[in-house]
Amino acid sequence: MILSEEQKDSVTELVNIAFSRTAAALSELTGNRVDLAVPDVSAYPIAELLPALGRFVRGEVATVHQIFGGPVSGDAFLLLDIAGAARLVDLLSDAGAPTTHMGASAREVLAEVGNILLNACLGVFGDLLQVRFTFTVPRLHLDSLGSMLGSLEIGGDEIRHALLIGARFHVRGSEVTGCMVMVLGVTSLDRFVEAIENWAERATQS
Amino acid sequence: MAKILIVDDSALSRRVSRRILEPAGHTVAEAADGLSALETYSLDRPDLVLLDVTMTEMDGLEVLNQLRAMDPLAVVVMATADVQSSTRVLAEAGGAVGFVIKPLTAETVLRAVAAALLGQAGGAK
Repeated sequence: MILSEEQKDSVTELVNIAFSRTAAALSELTGNRVDLAVPDVSAYPIAELLPALGRFVRGEVATVHQIFGGPVSGDAFLLLDIAGAARLVDLLSDAGAPTTHMGASAREVLAEVGNILLNACLGVFGDLLQVRFTFTVPRLHLDSLGSMLGSLEIGGDEIRHALLIGARFHVRGSEVTGCMVMVLGVTSLDRFVEAIENWAERATQS
Repeated sequence: MAKILIVDDSALSRRVSRRILEPAGHTVAEAADGLSALETYSLDRPDLVLLDVTMTEMDGLEVLNQLRAMDPLAVVVMATADVQSSTRVLAEAGGAVGFVIKPLTAETVLRAVAAALLGQAGGAK
């Protein structure tokens, strides 16, 4: 699916609002100012997602994965490079750096942060688009990007697309690079874009 | 009624702002980035600037600083989804006289614009 310029602008603005709330949540969690770059929004078939993701994260990544359901359903991921995830955990606790052998405490911290950030973002989507999302319990994976994406394709019974939302943010002067990815089936992606267009229409008519 | 410059990298946001401001009798100009905003401001000298914060190349806080350096009396209202208190503090320190949270509504935008223009008339800046 290729987004038109107008659709892309509307999605970017909605994402900007949602990510700004997410940054505020992160700021509250860490007690530090969070500087947010303009989000980069694009849509890809799953098979083309890996090179696209490389613009934001590389190699080993810490992924918080949450499945959401409702009129628009899919998978939401918060991806952080390992160094960025380590900085984030360090800011929040003395749980230690999140490595593949990290302790339960650090994993718990990272999963909870991911849960809060993903819910802050999807919550804004839900409120503005007037749809209700339900969420599963977040799961943390420490893996390579390729493995993470490979797991997405297993069991996929329809052509799936990814709405890639990339955003770099800085916490207390130390760069934490990450991005959020939503993976939607074709029907959900159509509904999501349609809902955004309706929101944009309401916004300009009000 | 005032001449207002809308600065936002989102065409949607500029459309929303225009739909709010024009029916209220204001004259509107638009800029999609910080550099264009500075050029337009120097040429048109609008009464008020409605300024987005999160933009590429030059963010709104930097645009604010450059606008105020160009014209210390520039009346600027920030329009942003960034609800961090630190952002509001930085905007106020930079000389912004108003702060509107996105998504924009007619009520909040017109109230902030009216207050900012009144502040200017009353010499409150």
